[in-house]
Amino acid sequence: MANPQVEQSQVLPEYGPVTKADLRKAAWRHNLTLQWSWNYERMQALGYMWSILPILQRISKTKEELIANMQRHMVFYNTNPAVGSPIIFGATCALEEKGQGEVGDSLKIALMGPFAGIGDTIQAILLRPMVAVLAASLAMDGSMAGPLIMFIFGLCWFALKFPQFYWGYNQGVNLVTTVAGGALEKITEGATIMGLVVVGGFIPSIMASVTTPIKFVKQVTVDGQLTEKVVELQPALDSILPYMIPLLIVGFAYWLVKKRHQSPIKVLLWLTILAFVCSYLGIL
Amino acid sequence: MTLTYGIGIALILAIVAYVAVVMNLGASVFWHEALIVGAVTGLIVGDVKLGLTIGATLTLMSLGMWTYGGATIPDFMTGAILGTAFGALPGVGLEGGLAIAVPAALLMTQLDILGRATTTLFIHGADKAVAEGNVRAVTWWHLLGQLPWGLTRFVPVFLAVWLGAGPVQAAINGMPENLMRAIKVTGSVLPALGFALLLTMMPLKKYWPFALIGFILFAYLKVPMIGIALAAVAIGVIYLGLKEVRANG
Repeated sequence: MANPQVEQSQVLPEYGPVTKADLRKAAWRHNLTLQWSWNYERMQALGYMWSILPILQRISKTKEELIANMQRHMVFYNTNPAVGSPIIFGATCALEEKGQGEVGDSLKIALMGPFAGIGDTIQAILLRPMVAVLAASLAMDGSMAGPLIMFIFGLCWFALKFPQFYWGYNQGVNLVTTVAGGALEKITEGATIMGLVVVGGFIPSIMASVTTPIKFVKQVTVDGQLTEKVVELQPALDSILPYMIPLLIVGFAYWLVKKRHQSPIKVLLWLTILAFVCSYLGIL
Repeated sequence: MTLTYGIGIALILAIVAYVAVVMNLGASVFWHEALIVGAVTGLIVGDVKLGLTIGATLTLMSLGMWTYGGATIPDFMTGAILGTAFGALPGVGLEGGLAIAVPAALLMTQLDILGRATTTLFIHGADKAVAEGNVRAVTWWHLLGQLPWGLTRFVPVFLAVWLGAGPVQAAINGMPENLMRAIKVTGSVLPALGFALLLTMMPLKKYWPFALIGFILFAYLKVPMIGIALAAVAIGVIYLGLKEVRANG
């Protein structure tokens, strides 16, 4: 595409070798602002283009080249911004630097799907529930440590985007073979299993306060005398299966979503009705 | 006694909402969570415990809600700000705060869609700037893309906190006692929604024993949460290791 008859005066001032500072700038742009201009039409496209712009300015000799390079990156792009996108972005930066921008374009398209899958799994199934439940249980006890822990995790999650970027940069085009090697499936499966153990333990611990106040008054004979004894239902339930009521409620909600295909909003409505009725009848 | 918020508090909370949503777009996933934003709001309006409780309830409710591919989910961040701000008013309390936070989070989905749609104009502006090779204009189109996102949170929070305190107090104070109790019970039941949605995202049929192990660890062995998280890591690594052994031989 480069025009050999370009006059020296038309060469853009930024044209030159990509420096370490350029890479750092691109990484910061990507990691801090990728989705600031997120929109329905092309989602993260503009954020991606603006982030890689420092590299494009280095590799584009003329204004026409720069425009063409920028336009290549204005196409639809969407993946997980925290896990995955920094890797893809790093690899594309390396390819642009080597003059293999078109390879980078196809790499973007090939990898945004798989990385969205793994990134969303790690974040939505494992990391977020784990951190959120830990933090929420501390917060319920009135401790500022809850939000603080969550904030710190957020900071770590942000910081981790930088090693991802440089790893992707060093992998370059090899990234595709690495991804095809089954590493992603392994990570996803591991994250799913860990997430399930955590959720299994967190459901009873978070919902432990959901108990029944029902009491029975029972006539019993103690030493030949007839007395009234108050029997609470909750300990009896606990001896059958601890945390039975929370499990039943989660099971009910799960059934609504999974088997009845109800939307989250409708499930919310059903749970509210259930809580209102049970509260009114004195069951909960 | 009716206590309302001045324009200053309304402005500060609106800025919190703006910053939180833009943070979520860029820097990190956790800084806009209802838990953090609720705590911050609690600090600002002088009732930290309320902010923590409302934030924690909303965060737990939202487990398993994820913006896959840019889908819209209830805006629990804004819900936490409004619920905490109104709940801190005399006579409103936790129950009243929750009764505001959850519907507010649901209503805000409409504005989320508006924000996501409006930003489309910005990428068309950027297309033009790119065609002209105008790097500076492209930069502005991108950076200002945060405006529709931020303003769709800023404006409703500002107006609601500034003007809504009186009507909200009047409405909540008129509620009968057993209705308030029902709202409280609802609040303790709502995390079930989060957990249920989370479970539907997981291959429960194939991996249910792992959830059972987690349950046993807490319900029978009384392992604290950090212990459960550590056990989860160990179990995950062991599983993958065993799987590899079987695949190799």
